[in-house]
Amino acid sequence: MAGTPSNHPSMFKNPVLNWVNDRFPLTALIKTSATDYYAPKNFNFWYYFGSLALLVLVLQIVTGIFLTMNYKPDAAYAFGSVEYIMRDVDYGWLIRYMHSTGASMFFVVVYLHMCRGLMYGSYRQPRELTWIFGMLIYLCLMAEAFFGYLLPWGQMSFWGAQVIVNIFSAIPFIGPELAVWIRGDYSIGDATLNRFFAFHVIALPLVLLGLVAAHLIALHETGSNNPDGVEINKGPKGNRWSKDAPADGIPFHPYYTVKDIFGVVVFLMIFTAIVFFLPEMGGYFLEYNNFVPADPLKTPAHIAPVWYFTPYYSILRAVPPMFGSQFPGVIGMGLSVMIFFALPWLDRGAVKSIRYRGNLYKAFFAMFIVCFIVLGYLGVKPTSVWGQFGDWAKFLDTRDIATWGARLLTIGYFAFFFLMPWYTKADKTKPEPARVTMH
Amino acid sequence: MKIKSLLASLALVTVSAFAPYAIASGGPEVKFVGPSASSTDLESLQRGARLFVNYCVNCHSAQYMRYNRLTDLKLTEDQIKQNLMFTTDKIGDTMKAAISVNDAKEWFGALPPDLSVMARSYSAAAISGSSGDPAETLAAYLRGFYQDDSRDTGWNNIVSPNIGMPHALHELSGTNKLVETVFAADGKEIKDDHAAEAKARGAFIAATTMSSFEHHSEVKDGKTVNHYVVKSLVNATPGSMTPAQFDTAIADLVNFMSYVAEPHKAKRIQIGILMMFLLAFLLATSVWLKKEYWKDVH
Repeated sequence: MAGTPSNHPSMFKNPVLNWVNDRFPLTALIKTSATDYYAPKNFNFWYYFGSLALLVLVLQIVTGIFLTMNYKPDAAYAFGSVEYIMRDVDYGWLIRYMHSTGASMFFVVVYLHMCRGLMYGSYRQPRELTWIFGMLIYLCLMAEAFFGYLLPWGQMSFWGAQVIVNIFSAIPFIGPELAVWIRGDYSIGDATLNRFFAFHVIALPLVLLGLVAAHLIALHETGSNNPDGVEINKGPKGNRWSKDAPADGIPFHPYYTVKDIFGVVVFLMIFTAIVFFLPEMGGYFLEYNNFVPADPLKTPAHIAPVWYFTPYYSILRAVPPMFGSQFPGVIGMGLSVMIFFALPWLDRGAVKSIRYRGNLYKAFFAMFIVCFIVLGYLGVKPTSVWGQFGDWAKFLDTRDIATWGARLLTIGYFAFFFLMPWYTKADKTKPEPARVTMH
Repeated sequence: MKIKSLLASLALVTVSAFAPYAIASGGPEVKFVGPSASSTDLESLQRGARLFVNYCVNCHSAQYMRYNRLTDLKLTEDQIKQNLMFTTDKIGDTMKAAISVNDAKEWFGALPPDLSVMARSYSAAAISGSSGDPAETLAAYLRGFYQDDSRDTGWNNIVSPNIGMPHALHELSGTNKLVETVFAADGKEIKDDHAAEAKARGAFIAATTMSSFEHHSEVKDGKTVNHYVVKSLVNATPGSMTPAQFDTAIADLVNFMSYVAEPHKAKRIQIGILMMFLLAFLLATSVWLKKEYWKDVH
């Protein structure tokens, strides 16, 4: 075709492809996002979880669509319709277990993905927006999980939602009205179930998809970070595929697509083992108490949120009430999630990757991981789990050892963030290599 | 490589932090050793089904379980109709209780709970040496009844104290009585709380019948007073079954209730094994594919 610029892709043998390319940048899109997108060649184990998160998102959407075909968002029928799906719908049990396992595995994958970001400083300049979009995805996911958990209408659905919505009523002045506004009723009821269903199946998935797109667009603008934390774009140019591309980059497709296929298969082996052999995961993925229909008159002896919320729940419980209000705990919990947004500006280290950080940073990082995991553990258990202090502790507001443990761990959790500007600067870092290293 | 060892040591620290506290606190702790039945033992499941329709469905429903589903247990529809269906004559019906809702409320004060998923949800006491599996707790509960004249029903339960349910299977098991031993520090034979707890633990471990261990503490004049109570069941009058036979019957019944709670379980595990083989094949393929493509990356 005369006048077509040389880089215009309407030069294939396939006329259909040319026809499409003249009207829609199909080939150009594939090039910029896969075959000509150069990723550092030294990705390790931790780099599987981004593509796995995308896989789980698709799984959740597809299984979710099939669940809505038989689920009834009605307080009188919700529990029964889930049992109907489990028993009378062909392979309904499989769809439901995939969705319930998918919810927990989504958080497993996302937590590991975030841990990767922390370890290699992926949140730092120039990827601040990728990190912020990622955090928004995480918030959205938490809301999605919370709304979805009410839908089976079991005891834990009901009382879990009751506890979380009551958190809002601790906000001074507007709290109680706000809680009623969220529930649409004076307690969790049919109106609540209906609106949570709407949020779970329409509103949040739409937002989630938009944010995922933004997360990927931002990532492709800056290029990926890597375990060495050095920028391949600033290194030497020229590789086998292009003389302008970074020397340490390899095309995402086919190199990382085939590598990610391997990751997907390993992930699916774990996922499948849970779905088919341990769908309840010992009561952590599907809580035993949630096989009891919701009963507003019977409060369960022990209400614990699902495992992926428990670090924050622990912080909520750990902060003592002040001036007769639970609000400080709510602030502590909110802050513990939101503080992640500030990471790009809290970190003042000379290097990005933990590989070249000094012992000071490593100690704080290790402490943070321990705090997060132990807080998560304590959030699953009643506060009596570690026993009580003896009579000498009369003057304390609580004798539960676990509550004091959680308080200490909460301080550790926040110290990681609030002291970060200091310890990242004071840290004795090692020199970064000029180019990426292969291990 | 350093990160790997760092993470490994982190994992160790966290695991060892939890280990000593694995035993749940609060509520009674029950010792119960009974036979268990295999979920693939069809005869056990069929015996359990017979017990279930004869003793449970009088008052409880299993409103999500259809009778014709019992063909899973290698029973024909005729066999189900003749031997297991007393409350309906439609094979596609779900298991509905024989008594009316109003009668149930009048007799028990509350509607007996639906049993469709009871074996997946039952929780009461912590069972020693158990992972907290609802089916195991349910088996302990069904064996935990004893005579108690202070209760309206005349029955009480060691696993779930003061429950409204009477001992529906007493004609099979006979009746049990409760023997209670309290251990508390008296400054003489039992010096302190520590000794009291150790003594109570010893008695609990030595008990040969179903027993529970409870810890009560109250604050008296600003001081905490601890009591350690060991409760044991002792057979008072025999039933139509020997204790060993009754234990097997309970194992069958709970086996059946576990089946009712998740009728597709056998199929689920079957498909799962197939899936794992398929994925193992895919794994080998994907490893080979990755190696092949990555040959030229150095």
